[in-house]
This record gives sequence, structure tokens and C-alpha cells, in this order.
Amino acid sequence: MSARPSSRRPRQRSRSSAGPTAVWLIALLVALIATVQLRSQAEVEKSLVQADPATLAFSIDQLSRSNDALEAQISDLAQRKLKLQSGGSTAADQALQTELDQLRILEGLVPVHGPGVVVVIDASGLTALDLQDALNNLAAGGAEALAVNDERIVDGVPIVQTAGGVAVGGTLTPPPWTIVAIGDTNRLAETSDAMTQQLRGDRRVRQATYRVESDIVIRAVVTERPFVYGVP
Amino acid sequence: MGRTQPLSTALVALVALAVGFLLAGQVKAQLLTPSNQVGRNQALIRSVQDLERTNQADRANIQGLRAQIDALEAQAASQSQTTQGLQNQVADLRAHAGLTPLHGPGVEVVLTSGPPGSDPSGQSRNLITYQDVQDLVNLLFASGAEGVSVSGRRITPLSAFTGSEGEVIVDQGPPLFSPIRIVAVGDRNGMEAALGDPNSLPSLRIREIQFQLTLRVRGAPDETLPAFDGSLEAPHVSKA
Repeated sequence: MSARPSSRRPRQRSRSSAGPTAVWLIALLVALIATVQLRSQAEVEKSLVQADPATLAFSIDQLSRSNDALEAQISDLAQRKLKLQSGGSTAADQALQTELDQLRILEGLVPVHGPGVVVVIDASGLTALDLQDALNNLAAGGAEALAVNDERIVDGVPIVQTAGGVAVGGTLTPPPWTIVAIGDTNRLAETSDAMTQQLRGDRRVRQATYRVESDIVIRAVVTERPFVYGVP
Repeated sequence: MGRTQPLSTALVALVALAVGFLLAGQVKAQLLTPSNQVGRNQALIRSVQDLERTNQADRANIQGLRAQIDALEAQAASQSQTTQGLQNQVADLRAHAGLTPLHGPGVEVVLTSGPPGSDPSGQSRNLITYQDVQDLVNLLFASGAEGVSVSGRRITPLSAFTGSEGEVIVDQGPPLFSPIRIVAVGDRNGMEAALGDPNSLPSLRIREIQFQLTLRVRGAPDETLPAFDGSLEAPHVSKA
């Protein structure tokens, strides 16, 4: 009889002190979670707040265009999935062959054609960095295939400065540079216009022009490089 | 005793809630200093955030669809040798286009902008630009990279870099800010040698000294690159 009350009392004591402690712990946790949540939101907003309105407007324009491109890709993939679901291996063969052709074009493994622009830059003293900038501008401006002086360009083709001048894919490529870009001609013309105007302001540049063409052929191709170090 | 227990617990809970809100409010007030700029840019910021959310959702959707297509193609390939052959060829090209993850020896480069105000001319030369990232990626490819990613965005044969002050956009975004983490898989020795060459990346080297930008390089025996999760649509170009 005497053992029961004595065993109950400590239990009651421990419950009465454990209750508030647990609540305080929860309180601390709530405060911590709320703080962390607000901090992460604030961090994101701070990086944007630091941006000026012009940067934000640029981001909006860029993201809108990007999201359009992503949605076009989603639509294409959704169609491909539907075809695969509806057919057997014949549908799969067609889908794979289409993708094979697209990837060969993308990776510069086959000759290509389409509408685009031809940019000619004649200068002395321009470096590999100048050529990389020009090519990147065109790629950002919608180029889907590129070549310089009949050398096909895809990311991964080295453009380096050597003692003899600029080398593209191991081939010495002295100016004048004739850059061919296939893609959306409206966007490419806009980009080429801004780029050639800027280049004409450079003392080293003798000539910087561009023309739009309805059908350009790029015959140059890139040799496929097998992976030596990387494992897919 | 029995009645005071729940009462005291409820009181403690109320105090706890108040403490939580007070603390959070304090942190919020400290982190989001109200200013005219915040007010002016608020609408623009909301638009950017909405577009970024859509961008993220679209990327997840693309990844999901590519995985589903892979599974359907694998299923078809198990029933036909022709399909199997085509699937193998596509898998190889997908790997080279950056559509599948890649791992192997490589390097990691972390580019960080210099502290605010370190360019007294106000030209923001202390900030990392998209050209810096472009130069670094080109240098890595030229010195033996077989695949590269920029802050989790895989570089493809069609990749392009844009951006404005302190903001770097790779392909279809979203905008990336300092620190920018570039990872490359390939010839580790070749890439480390190129990155260690004092004549490479001249603009970055000068700004490292003048404006305290930092370029941290670390070689690793096994780096992993994610698969590209954006668009590779090229509607204007066809096989000649």
C-alpha cells in the first residue's frame, strides 16, 4: 500500500515538470523554423532587391523567352510519349530515329541547312576571346548551328589563342572570319546588327557586316569524340 | 492540481507562440530593411519570382517526361533488336549532348564576386559576369573537359551565356548569382594545368587582385554532372 503512493508521486512530479519543458522546446522549435523559413525567403528577396530595375526587366524578358522554349519542349516530349504509348516497336523506331537525327544535327555530326545570317569580321589583333564572344552572342541570339571559316562550332570545340593566331578545333583560323549562323532570322538579325555596330567602334576592326539569307548550308562537321574519362 | 495543469500548459503554449512570432518578426525586420528601392522594385521582383517558379516546374516536367519516354523506349527495345540498336545509338548521342548524368575525374571551380564597394569607380567590376563563366567553360573544354555544369546547369552543344550585372544566365535560366560553381569531368591534369596557368583567364586574374574576386579550384577523383533539364529544340535547322 505504501509503495503505490510513493511510486505515483515522483511520476506526477516528473510529468508536471516535463510538460512545460516540452512545450518550451516546441516553442523554441517553432521560433527556429519560422526564423529559418523567413531567412531563406529574405535571402532570395535580398538578392533580387539588390538588382536594379533594368536588371529585373532583363530577367523578366529572358525568363519569359526561356519559359516559352521550355513549354515548346514539353509539348514535343508529350507528343513523343503519346506516340510511344499508342504504338509498339514501330512507333519506338520512328521516335528513336527522329531523335537520332536531331541529336546528330545538334552535335554537329552532319551537314545542315536553314535560314540564317552570315557575319563577316575583318580585323587585325582580335583574339580567341573576341571570336568566342561573337559566337556566344549568336548562340544566345537563337543560333541553332554555327560555323566559322568552314569550321563547325559546337560547345566543346576548342577555340584557342596560339602563337600563330586563333585556332578553331586545332585549325589556324585567321581573319577575316565568316561566321554562319542558322536559326530564327529575326532574332539573329537583331543580334548581328547590335554586334557589328559595336565591332565597328573597335579600332582593330576594318570591316564588320552581316546579311540575312533564306537558306544557308553548313557542310563542315565535327568528329565524334568518345568518352575517355567520363562515365555516363 | 488537475485543473491548474492544463491551464499552465496552455499559458506556456501561448507564451511560446508569442516568442516564436516575436523572434520571427525581429528577424524579418532585420533582413528586409524597408527602402524606396524595395517599394519600386516589388512588382518586378514578384514577376521574376513567378517566372522562376514556372521555369522550375517546367524543368521538372521535362525531366519527368524524358524519364517516361526512356522507360517506354526500353520496353519497346526489349521486344525488337532493331529498336535495341537504335536505342543504343541514341543513348550514346544523348550522353554527348548532356542529356544524361556523367561522372568521372574532374575539377570544381568556385567563382565568387568581390565584396560590395570594392570597385570604387562604381563599374561593378568586382562582380562575376557571364563572360567570366563563358571564358572558364571554354578553357575547361579546351583543356580536356568531356562535360561541364554551371551551378547545376549542364552545358550542351547549343549552350549560350547571357546576363547582366552580377547575374549569369545559362540557356533557359534561371538567373545564377555569385558564388558560381563550375564542375567539369574529363582530363583532370590537363584542366588543373590550364587553370593554374597565370596567362589564362586574364580578365579574372586582374580583377582577383584589384577587386578581390576569388577563383577557387579543387581537383577530385569523381565529380558528377547532372543531366540537362532544359530545351534542345532547334526548329530552323535540318539535315542537308
